[in-house]
Amino acid sequence: MVRHLTRQAVVVRRDGWRQVTGPPLVRLEDGADRGTALVAARDQPLLGDWIRAFLEPPPSRTWDPPAGFKCPVVFANGTSGPLLHELVGHMVEGDLVADGRSPLAGLAGANLTEARLTVTDDPGRFDLPGAFSCDDEGVPANPVVVLREGRLCGWLCDRETAELGDTLAGRGRRPDWRYPPTPRLSNLVVAAGDADPDTLEAGLTHGLVVTRLAGATVDPVSTRTVLRVERGFELRNGRRRRTLAAFELTGSVTEILAAIHPAVGNDPTPDWRLGWCVKDGLPLPTGSEAPTLLVRRLEVL
Amino acid sequence: MGSSIESDELYDRLGDAVTTCGELLGGTTVDRWEVFAKNSLTRETEISGGRIRRTIQVEENGIGIRVYDQGRAGFAAVSGLDAGAARFAVESGRAGAVHGPDPMPPARLLGTSDVARGPELPPRGWAQHVASELEMALSAMSDNVLRLGRAMIQEGRYAWTLHTGDGWSARHDRTVASMVVEVQVGDRPGTWREWVHVADPAAIDAEAVASRIGNRALLTRHNVATDRGLHDLLLHPEVSAQLVAALSPLFIATDVGQDRLPGLLDRNGLLAAYALTITDDRSDPSAPVVSPCDGEGLPARRTLLLEEGAPRHRVASYADAHRFDELPRGGAVRLSYRDRPVSGLVNLRVLTEDGMAAGELLAASDRALYLLRPLAPVVCDLAADSYSLIASGVWLEHQRVRGWHPVVELRGGLGTLLRRIDAVGSDLCWFETPRGFVGAPSLLIRRQPVMG
Repeated sequence: MVRHLTRQAVVVRRDGWRQVTGPPLVRLEDGADRGTALVAARDQPLLGDWIRAFLEPPPSRTWDPPAGFKCPVVFANGTSGPLLHELVGHMVEGDLVADGRSPLAGLAGANLTEARLTVTDDPGRFDLPGAFSCDDEGVPANPVVVLREGRLCGWLCDRETAELGDTLAGRGRRPDWRYPPTPRLSNLVVAAGDADPDTLEAGLTHGLVVTRLAGATVDPVSTRTVLRVERGFELRNGRRRRTLAAFELTGSVTEILAAIHPAVGNDPTPDWRLGWCVKDGLPLPTGSEAPTLLVRRLEVL
Repeated sequence: MGSSIESDELYDRLGDAVTTCGELLGGTTVDRWEVFAKNSLTRETEISGGRIRRTIQVEENGIGIRVYDQGRAGFAAVSGLDAGAARFAVESGRAGAVHGPDPMPPARLLGTSDVARGPELPPRGWAQHVASELEMALSAMSDNVLRLGRAMIQEGRYAWTLHTGDGWSARHDRTVASMVVEVQVGDRPGTWREWVHVADPAAIDAEAVASRIGNRALLTRHNVATDRGLHDLLLHPEVSAQLVAALSPLFIATDVGQDRLPGLLDRNGLLAAYALTITDDRSDPSAPVVSPCDGEGLPARRTLLLEEGAPRHRVASYADAHRFDELPRGGAVRLSYRDRPVSGLVNLRVLTEDGMAAGELLAASDRALYLLRPLAPVVCDLAADSYSLIASGVWLEHQRVRGWHPVVELRGGLGTLLRRIDAVGSDLCWFETPRGFVGAPSLLIRRQPVMG
């Protein structure tokens, strides 16, 4: 099933009004499984390739990595975008920071990872699903750098939490007219590094490479994240070997960030699999673009 | 305040909307029609530190219309109840009609329109009072270890009316309430979050709610302990509810090519152990969704889906029942005026008449993993007869807690899991799941593979 999604809104405030526009989206659902979908901006030039990849049948012969297996994991094909969406994007949202629910609260200015990652939340990227001209409180879209060379330097706030944190607003988003705005990220864009992604895989004796994620969550009690891997390969002596069955990876937010290898891929790639984010039960379109990253240690569930 | 519109005035407006639609349709070639008009009022109050932080009140009105016009079936939905909305709904329903069978049930199948009115919304201040009582009860039951972070008290009232061109009509109104409670557990970072269905706002028992939340949340204070291998499992009702929700596609009528149920049955025709009986019931007054009829007007009834492990019936809208050779049992769901009626479950419930008390369940296994809360929806691959369940839990030895396992995964054969259900608890609770409301008790399952 193919759904076309467009949204038109106007924010009227005492000082004037602004029209809120976002990219027209397309959502493709697998008829056999309503849980599987592709969400993308309709004008995304790679959409045709993504639809072909989405419709590919799953591999028939696969290997199940054993539970408890701890190993290095390469996140390729833009899958590090959803990873950082969970580890960094949500954790810098103003409401979670203001009331101490984020493990990153109180860490402003701290080096979270030795990788010189620069992560920007950019609603101006209209080729990605989370774009908007201004947020649902009428603040014009502005990119916010949340991580600069690995150092935590920005929060994503609506007007209310911006006042508390003495920072800029611009991320007050609403699922629809029935809900008030809350701080939500838009498109998380990770700057390219200078490492050839092949070298990240080539240096591993035994590990895994993830090429498609089906979902990711962070448990608010334990602050551990669970990543649902849909496609990937086993790596042996730097070469892709067996195709992986669907499985899950886990680790704590701060431990995974600390375990990101300093070498960052030079291949920023938009993710097409997870164009929709649910927070407190409320869905919103979001996007990401990220290069290949290596996490030195993750645990298979 | 009860409602922004007094009840009689509200019914007048709903009635005016359907009357206008009926008059407009009367002058056309439409053979059969059905008009659904609904008003809903919801109020969410967020409370923390004893103060109201935010109140969101939303009122919504709309009309949904189905027509059958000379071999063409159409549906349209329009917000608003005025004459303009009625006209637009009628015009859109006719304009969008496509060739196909008449999806509407015949008048002889429709149920009663004799419906009692629901109570008014609780008075203003009720939410703050409930949060205050809950805060004290949590503190008292845990020696100040549990602190209420936030409480979101949700109250709602809806009223709808359904009319058909055959002269049949029904109307209904109801008040509903629930709350989302966030609790801090000692000095541990992280938040315990729980959704609680409030069947009767006038009789809410803050101590019982605090006990329900606290008994589980306090278990996460234990030191981390992990294990793997084959173990007995005790599923908290919230985990059981996610598992039952994942089975729900099996209970909805479908065509033979998509039907996964036969492949999951054992040689005796059983899907699950004898202990498991599941129904769908919109006439249960303690359930979250109660109505006198389904989304098309068929009388509300309890549908037996699984009886002592054996599949019995499936739910279907009238059109799907006709299509898939099922008896129409009132299985059409209409979540909003915007949605056409579709086959679906409303209150999926595990029967607990013969359930064991929680203490007896705990005593039934010397060594078990007690799964406290799901960390993700339970995934069941019905075609491959497999499941994956990710949860946090505690290890129990001789009814004592050995340690907390923050993230644990279970994977294996779905049929094997369901047929190893040894006992059902009597502690039924309702939960909101991605597949609707599910009422489930604790479940004891013997010898399942536990990973990591």
